[in-house]
Amino acid sequence: MTVFVCGEEPEDIWCGIYDAWMSRLGHANIRLEPVGCDRELFCLYRDVEVTEGKAEKVTGSIRHKLSEEVYEAVYRAALSNDRYRADKVYRFLIHAFAAGAGILNQLQVPAVYEVFCMNRYLGREYSHIIQFTRFSQMKEGVLLGKIAPENDLVPLVSSHFADRLSGENWILYDCKRKKAAVHQANRGWAIVRADSSLWQDKLNKKTDEEIYEGLWKTFHHSIAISQRRNWKCQQNLLPLRFRPYMTEFVGKAPRG
Amino acid sequence: MLIQEEMDLQEKLRILSDGAKYDVSCSSSGVARKGKKGMLGNTLAAGICHSFAADGRCISLLKILFTNQCIYDCRYCINRRSNDTVRTAFTPEEVCRLTIEFYRRNYIEGLFLSSGILQSADFTMELLYQTLYRLRNEYRFNGYIHVKAIPGASPELIEQTGFLADRMSINLELPTAEGLKKLAPGKTREKILAPMRQVQRGIAVQNWNSLGGGPGSGGRFPKSLEDRSESRGGGLAPYGKGWPDGGSRRSGVKLCPLPAGREIGMADTAAHPGRNVWAPLQATGRRFFVPAGQSTQMIVGATPESDYHMIRVAEALYQNYDLKRVFYSAFVRVNDDSLLPALPGGPPLLREHRLYQADWLLRFYGFQAQELLSEERPNFNVLLDPKCDWALRHLEGFPVEVNRADYGTLLRVPGLGVKSARRILAARKSGALDFPDLKKMGVVLKRAMYFLTCSGKMMVPVRIDENFIAGQLIGMEHKKAWDIENHNSYQQLSLFDDYGVTAPVAWEDRVSAATGAL
Repeated sequence: MTVFVCGEEPEDIWCGIYDAWMSRLGHANIRLEPVGCDRELFCLYRDVEVTEGKAEKVTGSIRHKLSEEVYEAVYRAALSNDRYRADKVYRFLIHAFAAGAGILNQLQVPAVYEVFCMNRYLGREYSHIIQFTRFSQMKEGVLLGKIAPENDLVPLVSSHFADRLSGENWILYDCKRKKAAVHQANRGWAIVRADSSLWQDKLNKKTDEEIYEGLWKTFHHSIAISQRRNWKCQQNLLPLRFRPYMTEFVGKAPRG
Repeated sequence: MLIQEEMDLQEKLRILSDGAKYDVSCSSSGVARKGKKGMLGNTLAAGICHSFAADGRCISLLKILFTNQCIYDCRYCINRRSNDTVRTAFTPEEVCRLTIEFYRRNYIEGLFLSSGILQSADFTMELLYQTLYRLRNEYRFNGYIHVKAIPGASPELIEQTGFLADRMSINLELPTAEGLKKLAPGKTREKILAPMRQVQRGIAVQNWNSLGGGPGSGGRFPKSLEDRSESRGGGLAPYGKGWPDGGSRRSGVKLCPLPAGREIGMADTAAHPGRNVWAPLQATGRRFFVPAGQSTQMIVGATPESDYHMIRVAEALYQNYDLKRVFYSAFVRVNDDSLLPALPGGPPLLREHRLYQADWLLRFYGFQAQELLSEERPNFNVLLDPKCDWALRHLEGFPVEVNRADYGTLLRVPGLGVKSARRILAARKSGALDFPDLKKMGVVLKRAMYFLTCSGKMMVPVRIDENFIAGQLIGMEHKKAWDIENHNSYQQLSLFDDYGVTAPVAWEDRVSAATGAL
């Protein structure tokens, strides 16, 4: 068994898939693994070298030989939090290139189902994050939003907000991965690593928000009908893990 | 009445959102609009909920009243004239600022603007229009706006407001005209239905124009669309009772005439300041009229109407008024009034839930109201959802073969929804499906297993028997209640129950009891 060790970002995964595919060792004799897995005795380990050309070849042939829809599905799978997503995407692509663009409907095939599950989980979390992200305004009028998603959602969520808040300067910070999307008004956005102390100081600065936070909390409280109170329903629809980052729940007991 | 002009914004927001909260509609769906340069916001077809309140209801829009002053005295309403509450009003400026600042922070998806009736319907509608006009043009807001059309306001004002809003709604409040007369003396059925018809026609004309049938095409607005309600044999009242014109099958609603020489959607708006300013644009550069459609709301449990009556009215609204949504609002007793029912158990939430389930069946599952309920069975089963209930009464059509049944048949199987039925159709093209595959596709097997076969086999051998399947579906703890309700004679045997058997005790029984040989 030959194991190709690749990184976590989508580009790393595409390069890993390229190397594995082109090694011509036979699909059954190879595996893709992320960095940092326990190593086995009777395996040969190869580190994947990341180049732009390899990634482009993989994505290009998925888009042209299969379809944009399939590309979107594997791109989302590559952003998921599944540790073995690289290998799962690889197994999916073997079936996909054999079956053609209709592969996404064949949920009875285990490899397709895996990709479907990753997509579904990521899709659900994506819709939660675009619902529950809260921005607060910093001194210079820059909006700062903090999120902590399980999947690597910053690229997808950023393109949502780039369309919505195109005329604003904003930063969307992923507390788990310590990276941020920075958007400049009427320009584009870019993802930067934000683990330096300079970034941390900036992110932890107090925002100038008493007025609108107060108004929002007032509204959130008064819009509920007390005769219909239903904590369980609220918690089903708005899981607790999102609440530490939401204006209306900050500084509140878990209920309400 | 205490009217406070000077009040801080926070207090105003508290009072005016508190007054608006009994309105159910908070959806921001129905229109997909990309962001535009120089403007704030976009909209998504599916809508986005941004938070959930302590009652579990979603908060999607900034739901507020423009003012809680009102000239009407509707019995059920907290803002009625005779209530002694603090009255206040926003200024258009304040509404715009709140909307924009909340939207920037991703608190909300847009604005839901309703209002008490201040002075007159026209005066109030004009205020709402002014607010929306400023929000769209001065504040450059491109997000979602849901606005109430005030019954009795002039068609001109409603039309112009419709060009600024995404969704408009007029609340029907009560399903019958009698109920309305009793509880909302200031409102009449005609007053409510007239703007509803106007908005429907506006949307219909616009859709027809966008399909290439505009004035330049030489075509004529299809007659069938014009006389829609009449040709289908009824406006709103499913049966004559309760209809203002004494039980006639015709709707009796006077259609609002369009201004001479004009058509909504292609209107020459020269006389109006709104021209060439904000308007959501189509590819052709035309303005949209209420692009997300209209909705309405009915109060559940304030008057004695049955579930059957409610869904018949809802069905008529969907068919004859092209509504996008009918919302149901469990009645909350906020006023102490002798005409209102006392609800010791709180608002009728389960009833509201069942009505929503039935509403989905009407809109997405191809059901009709008469299939779900009838005059003889006018209310929904408390223990079973309407779809299971229907399936149990139609066991002759089950089980259904997954690998062959058409889409419409699959949709009627309990435990299958629109998504899973579509997945099944797509997946079975490339091979036969089995129960584990169905589970992967999101089919709820604990309900569906009694109604499906995969390649001719059921998941577990079950008797296709109404009583048996009902028991399985409901769970044994609720079985007894279901039996009572459905007058079933079958009964679960129990060791410690004599079932009313009065056989004399035999000699052998006495011996075995005495010797302990039982």
